[in-house]
Amino acid sequence: MNDDLFTFLIAGKAGQGTKKAGIVAANFFARFKRNVFQMNDYPSLIRGGHNFSIVSTSTQKIYSHYMKADLAVLLDQRSIKIHQNHLTEHGLLVYDDAIKKQEHGIGIPITSLAKKYSTPDLIVGIAGIATLVAAIACDRSILDTIIQKEYQRNVQDNLGYAHEIYDQVFEKTPKKFILRNGTDTDPILTGAETIGLGVSAAGLDLFFAYPMTPSTPILHFLSLQGKKLGVRTIQPENEIAVANMAIGATFTGARSMVGTSGGGFCLMQEAFSLAGMAEAPVLFFLGQRPGPSTGVPTYTEQGELLHSLYPGQGEFPRIVASPGSIEEAFYLSAELLNLAWHFQTPVILLSEKHLTESSMNVNLQPDKISEVKPLQHNNGNYQRYRKTDSGISPLLFPPSKEMIKWTSYEHDENGYTTEEAEAITQMHIKRRTKQESLVQYLKENIKTVNEYGSGEPFLFTFGSTTMTVREAVLVSGLQCSVIQLIYLQPFPSWHLQKYSGHKAIIIEQNSTGQLEQLLREKCGIHPITSIRQFDGRPFDPELLAEKLKKVTA
Amino acid sequence: MDQDFTTPVENTWCPGCGNFGILNAFRKAIPKLEKQGINPKHLIISAGIGCHGKIFDYVPLSGMYSLHGRSIATVQGIKLGNPNLKVLTFAGDGDAFGEGISHMIFAAKRNADITVIVHNNGTYALTTGQFSPTSQKGFKGPSLPSGNIEEPLNPLSLMLEAGASFVARGYAGRIDHLANLMVEAVLHEGFSYIDVLQPSVVFTNTYKEFNASVEMIEKPAVRLEDAVQLAKRFDKIPIGVFYNVSKPIYHQELYGEWNPVVNRLSHAERIRSIALYLSDHLQE
Repeated sequence: MNDDLFTFLIAGKAGQGTKKAGIVAANFFARFKRNVFQMNDYPSLIRGGHNFSIVSTSTQKIYSHYMKADLAVLLDQRSIKIHQNHLTEHGLLVYDDAIKKQEHGIGIPITSLAKKYSTPDLIVGIAGIATLVAAIACDRSILDTIIQKEYQRNVQDNLGYAHEIYDQVFEKTPKKFILRNGTDTDPILTGAETIGLGVSAAGLDLFFAYPMTPSTPILHFLSLQGKKLGVRTIQPENEIAVANMAIGATFTGARSMVGTSGGGFCLMQEAFSLAGMAEAPVLFFLGQRPGPSTGVPTYTEQGELLHSLYPGQGEFPRIVASPGSIEEAFYLSAELLNLAWHFQTPVILLSEKHLTESSMNVNLQPDKISEVKPLQHNNGNYQRYRKTDSGISPLLFPPSKEMIKWTSYEHDENGYTTEEAEAITQMHIKRRTKQESLVQYLKENIKTVNEYGSGEPFLFTFGSTTMTVREAVLVSGLQCSVIQLIYLQPFPSWHLQKYSGHKAIIIEQNSTGQLEQLLREKCGIHPITSIRQFDGRPFDPELLAEKLKKVTA
Repeated sequence: MDQDFTTPVENTWCPGCGNFGILNAFRKAIPKLEKQGINPKHLIISAGIGCHGKIFDYVPLSGMYSLHGRSIATVQGIKLGNPNLKVLTFAGDGDAFGEGISHMIFAAKRNADITVIVHNNGTYALTTGQFSPTSQKGFKGPSLPSGNIEEPLNPLSLMLEAGASFVARGYAGRIDHLANLMVEAVLHEGFSYIDVLQPSVVFTNTYKEFNASVEMIEKPAVRLEDAVQLAKRFDKIPIGVFYNVSKPIYHQELYGEWNPVVNRLSHAERIRSIALYLSDHLQE
């Protein structure tokens, strides 16, 4: 168990600045060179409701937030009701004294003090930061530095309010928390940021998206930062236009990516199949949230695994992979964009809200990423769909004196429509050959599975759940291995068959056990048990650790 | 490239189909465009799915044979990938105003620099003659044998209202006139739309009516309202340019002079930018 873990929780209504306070708190912990993991929980609305942000911090590497807080700042009655039991043994509850007096904890006039300032509703998030700084006995001048940097609008009001809260909390908390200094200086980034940076490193030119949680943060990040990174963003009228424009852009040689979630991805199925037929290299980001249908827009789930494996009609090579950490998302996004161009086929980067919107310290080395050049036509008569040993045809981009025809119809090597039996057969064989080349390439060159720890049982998982599972293993003290499937299509059975017959536990965030189904069918892995959660919330590492101890006892 | 712009692909349109007129007009337009400085290798084409789409295989120009209704999105993507290219798509009336109507309206709204030529025959011919978005009320097809119960859309007034900066109508039976419209539309900077009256000899053999009632427009309307009014005229069928104005162009508003494939940031510059972003986010 991590002995210097500290968790800060701030909860209130949407519009009270809890998310911002969470981010500021994460940066505050980073001043101590500590590692952090920050998670935001918010419903699909702009004002009201219940929002909270949790930041867990440690001098050691940390892969998940913890639900039990050492310091909880609760801004409204609903937050008390929801979070009053989310405290560690010596946890401190600080609440707005406008709420009726609580048995434990310290009431502070959070909202009544705010009333004399210009934006009383929006300012209260600052109380969370002032409370945090006071509760660990940091000097008030540090609070000033933070407020001046992070809350610049009406900064004098913000400073005045922060001082009042700080002084009251400092006085009313006799025993202060002690935070040890760590040694980590890595930047704190969200998954959306690491994905955006990763694809930029691999040469992304254009990002097309229609707003949809949880892929929107990538659109926002690239819209703000993309120009410097070589990427422009485009928001067309709907997901159908998104996918078809991206395919059109690849025809010119522009590296293109789309961002979406389940419902939007359904609208892209037809274009996905076009990309398979035309051999258009498009990277699709598919961010999962609880389904079916509109589901629960701002929460997390892994219910689209099976859906992601065979999108679009017909037979063509598909690639699906999912990052197991915010750091891995950087390298994997780049690798997938390169694979799309290498094999000229649509590729899916599968992830979840928990990864795109949470943040942690990451050590990224951009110079480890290369931009793989696709197979290009040199000279002679050009044929877009020329048959080759690998099934991969050379690319040529307009303007060219050669004719370059991409098509949705079955075609001959020139790209002209065909209905001839022999031509149809040959093109099927070409695409199948490409699929075989892809599998061979993955076997020889790509890390398709991560293995952490050693010994049985083997805990199988994928995606962002990997982070929580790794943290839970640390909490539990169990000797075991975590096996994370990075690649899901083609399914890396060649790597996984060795686990067949061993003690396995499968952990995933869906109700029907989609990963389990694949492991059973494709690799003969039959788990002793499976652990699933499908309430829209990521696993809590402590609760998961308890379950693991129980099932392995 | 062959000077007559033919391909080895067998033409499978019904003899006498209006599509031949459109194909011949386009083959005439290509050298005319070349004279205006547009090299055929810069002219990229697309098409949707339907009888009209076969034109893609009949001209030896580069491009993408897209999906039903989606070619309007495809060519916008091509333009956004490389704004130096001139892009043009052929579409059917079901293609453009059934399946792809949202793309049409938004392409016009954002003034995307593309040309859309709709082969408007008022029926889904390739699927054996069902009623389409532009079928006349009462039109009989296999999916509604008692006759179409819907009013037809007016593609020209719809495009005008959506913000199209160039709107014209041509007729497959007036090939030279149509070829000139195509040249003008491609040269136009911004969204250009040509609605082509295209008789389908099997399902809507309208040559006789069109020959009797088409009337050349002398010059485009200056005011949008006048162009819309002209589009709604029923006694005669005006052909020619209805409206032609200059408006800010989508890719220029978005990019300025930048071109994704010509002005790409090099790998080294990207890596430097990322390193800078990371160092800005390092913990003090």
